[in-house]
Amino acid sequence: MNPGTLSGGWNFVMAAYGVTFSVLFIYGVSIVSRLRQESKNDE
Amino acid sequence: MKTTAPAILLAIGAYFGFVVAVAQFHGMTAFALGLPSGAIATLAATCGVAGAIWFLFANDQVESPRPAQLLIGLALLCLGFGSYYGLFVAPPEQYMGEVQRIMYVHVPTAWNALLAMTLAFVCAVIFLFNGDYKWDSRMEGSIETGVVLAFLLCCQGAIWAKPTWGVWWDWDPRLTTTAVLLFAFLGILALRKFVEDPAKRAIWSAVSTIIAYVDVPIVYFSVRWWNSLHQQQSSPGTVSKQFWLPLRLNAFGILFLMVAFIMLRARIASLRLKHEMAPPLPEIAELGEAV
Repeated sequence: MNPGTLSGGWNFVMAAYGVTFSVLFIYGVSIVSRLRQESKNDE
Repeated sequence: MKTTAPAILLAIGAYFGFVVAVAQFHGMTAFALGLPSGAIATLAATCGVAGAIWFLFANDQVESPRPAQLLIGLALLCLGFGSYYGLFVAPPEQYMGEVQRIMYVHVPTAWNALLAMTLAFVCAVIFLFNGDYKWDSRMEGSIETGVVLAFLLCCQGAIWAKPTWGVWWDWDPRLTTTAVLLFAFLGILALRKFVEDPAKRAIWSAVSTIIAYVDVPIVYFSVRWWNSLHQQQSSPGTVSKQFWLPLRLNAFGILFLMVAFIMLRARIASLRLKHEMAPPLPEIAELGEAV
């Protein structure tokens, strides 16, 4: 390993991926449920 | 579902984005057709974005959820392979080590957040010219999706900043202008929530979107114009070949997801608009008189 290289950091990597996929999943679910609600109101 | 023309563009984008990246990694340069790496990346990005946006505008007015489902399926495929490759196959970076793997989600999120804001700007301009409310719905979908991606961008940036800069946040030009962008577009969503008249809401939010969009080029060029902690933009010439594939796979994955979200969110906006613009039901007394 080069001098000055950051060691470790997997916890930050996992946190970034976790936040990314959680936010995208929650937003996706919220859109689908809102669309279902609006479609029901439309009928 | 209209797919032929956008599918051809997406296939060209995928060829230059993924096939050439894999082939070059294995030393098979013939796949690149003699083109330099900058031209390959530009072709991949241009065809991918043009194909995805064409698909969006060709299919977002249909009632079937099929087009969005197709995009979400493609997005999951790209993000699954891209994240696996970025986390477990690509080597750690020379100085940042493992932490650099955050780049494979952070950079695609940044590109797509700015793209969503750009789509909102285009929809705002077109709405002001032709007054067709489908562009207002598309604008609402683009703004909300852009805000979610910009929020995600700030979170990922803070997580990457802590181990590399030693702080979660710094009032650096890139970070500050991105925060301004997030809050400006969040303000437009709030404006849309508070204005009940559809015509006023559409015009005011289109004008506000055009004004807020001024910040997008400022975000992009902030690292060049001012002395910033944030690094300047990289290019295929300055990034190792081993990093190209996960970055491009995730970029396409988030692009497809963003387009699917805009498509579904624009549909919600147009259904709400349909209710708001529907003529009021006659009163019971009026019905009695008619009988």
